Amino acid sequence: MSTAQSVRAPALDGTSPPVLRAAGVHKSFGSLEVLRGVDLLVAPHEVVCLIGASGSGKSTLLRCCNLLERIDSGTIELFGHDLGHERIDEDLVRRHTGMVFQSFNLFPHLSVLENVTLAPRRVLHLQRAIAEQRAREILARIGLADKASEYPERLSGGQQQRVAIARSLAMGPRLLLLDEVTSALDPELVAEVLDLVGELAHQGMTMVVATHEMGFAREVANTVCFLEDGVIVESGPPGRIFGSPTEAATRRFLQRIIDAGRL
Amino acid sequence: MALTQPSSPAGPGGPGAGDALPLSLYSSHRPRLRGRSGVAASTISTLVVLVLIAGALASPSASAFRNGFLNVHQMWLALVGRHNEGILSVGKGFLLNIWLSGLCEAIVLVLALGLATLRLTTGPVLFPFRALAIGYTDFARGVPVILVMLWVGFGVPSLNIAEVSSQSPVVYAGFVLVFSYTAYVAEVYRAGLMSVPRAQVQAARSLGLSSRTTLRRVVLPQAVRNVLPALLNDFASLQKDTAIVSTLGVAEAVHSAQIAGGVEFNYSGFTIASLLFLAVTVPLTRYTDHIMARDRSRRLAGMPA
Repeated sequence: MSTAQSVRAPALDGTSPPVLRAAGVHKSFGSLEVLRGVDLLVAPHEVVCLIGASGSGKSTLLRCCNLLERIDSGTIELFGHDLGHERIDEDLVRRHTGMVFQSFNLFPHLSVLENVTLAPRRVLHLQRAIAEQRAREILARIGLADKASEYPERLSGGQQQRVAIARSLAMGPRLLLLDEVTSALDPELVAEVLDLVGELAHQGMTMVVATHEMGFAREVANTVCFLEDGVIVESGPPGRIFGSPTEAATRRFLQRIIDAGRL
Repeated sequence: MALTQPSSPAGPGGPGAGDALPLSLYSSHRPRLRGRSGVAASTISTLVVLVLIAGALASPSASAFRNGFLNVHQMWLALVGRHNEGILSVGKGFLLNIWLSGLCEAIVLVLALGLATLRLTTGPVLFPFRALAIGYTDFARGVPVILVMLWVGFGVPSLNIAEVSSQSPVVYAGFVLVFSYTAYVAEVYRAGLMSVPRAQVQAARSLGLSSRTTLRRVVLPQAVRNVLPALLNDFASLQKDTAIVSTLGVAEAVHSAQIAGGVEFNYSGFTIASLLFLAVTVPLTRYTDHIMARDRSRRLAGMPA
């Protein structure tokens, strides 16, 4: 990755255009309004963590950002381009926007190496040897070089999720969307995935992360957004959101987390 | 054995309904045969069954059966045929069954995939085609193959349409088999395509794969794996249903066996014909099982791709 060596420096100074800008985003599934006017700004190299109860709209917001869902109103701009434009090519949007899912969704009929090389070969039309070499480099970086010829079923959940991240990285995305990537993991496997995500953050990857891991959010995020009922109730640096939240709803949510012993 | 005998009563628990019954862990039946005694038992029972079958076949009252169906001389005669008596060779006829089923299967696999994909589209423009596809599938699966065979095989030549009405019966037969089996195989494909989780499609699309590439590289390989036994089942069925071509007077295996039976008044030809069919279908099903087992063990053992 080109940003591998760069020191983490969120560009919040206003000189570089935002990677992602959402304004007044509304989205309904039938009569259920999941997003009710969401505004969000993500600067280059920034890590934004979305926290909030299940059903608060975190996943839907992420899925709207790579067009797995279409918004009903409002605007989402990616790298300065309006996703609502009629000539937007969703395949090109996704090529530059990696997405990692809660349930990994590795391709079970392909080996780890084939999972990682599929998109570079079929979308970027890289030669097989080149795609495989790059895939092996990425796998080596995340400590899974020896698993290249394994099939996903043979890996632990944590390993599968790291392969899923590698699969996204192989496309060289400029933005990574992580949708509760540790929620389906056994507790002892959470750390290896969070460590990898933290490492990516350190290397300067721009990320929007929906998560229930408050400790991780506090440690890695530049900005934490608390969602409730489809709106961002409060956002700011993690120190302020976790230390002295101003909104009653945020305090209630954090109190429940603390009561559950998860913060 | 460390366990106490069944006569011993329940332990020193508190008073309760469970204590009323004596605790027993012993079966009232005789123990199952295992190990060497099990092998001996299976050998004996197998021998008994074989002797009974052999005895039944060898008994004088079974001689009509032996002579009518298992006559080796008649089987051979039917297999090779005797040209001057008008007895067609079942073996030669069976070659037609083989290549006809192979050719039809190849065409069916392609057409059925197109049909299944069409039925899973959602675009409004394709609506009339989806409706036609549903109508065709209902018709082709709901009408007996033999009816369509007679209808096309005798009906189409009677229409006197140039080119169309003057084809060989084998062409009509092939058309009918493709017509009927495409509907079945399309439904198998459709079930397979629907068995692949939506999350797989979303993961593929999220990587930037087009819908076409996603279908080809992600959905279809998983779908075919999931329905491979059903696909090969349908192939075995198609292979057998080439026998229906005999109704059009085509000299395939069954028709040839029928002629031999009519001339010789001996139906051992059907026995040899059925053996020929079995020689193809049994290895086919065993091969399916083998493929399935290999696929499963390869994914679980993590061998190099």
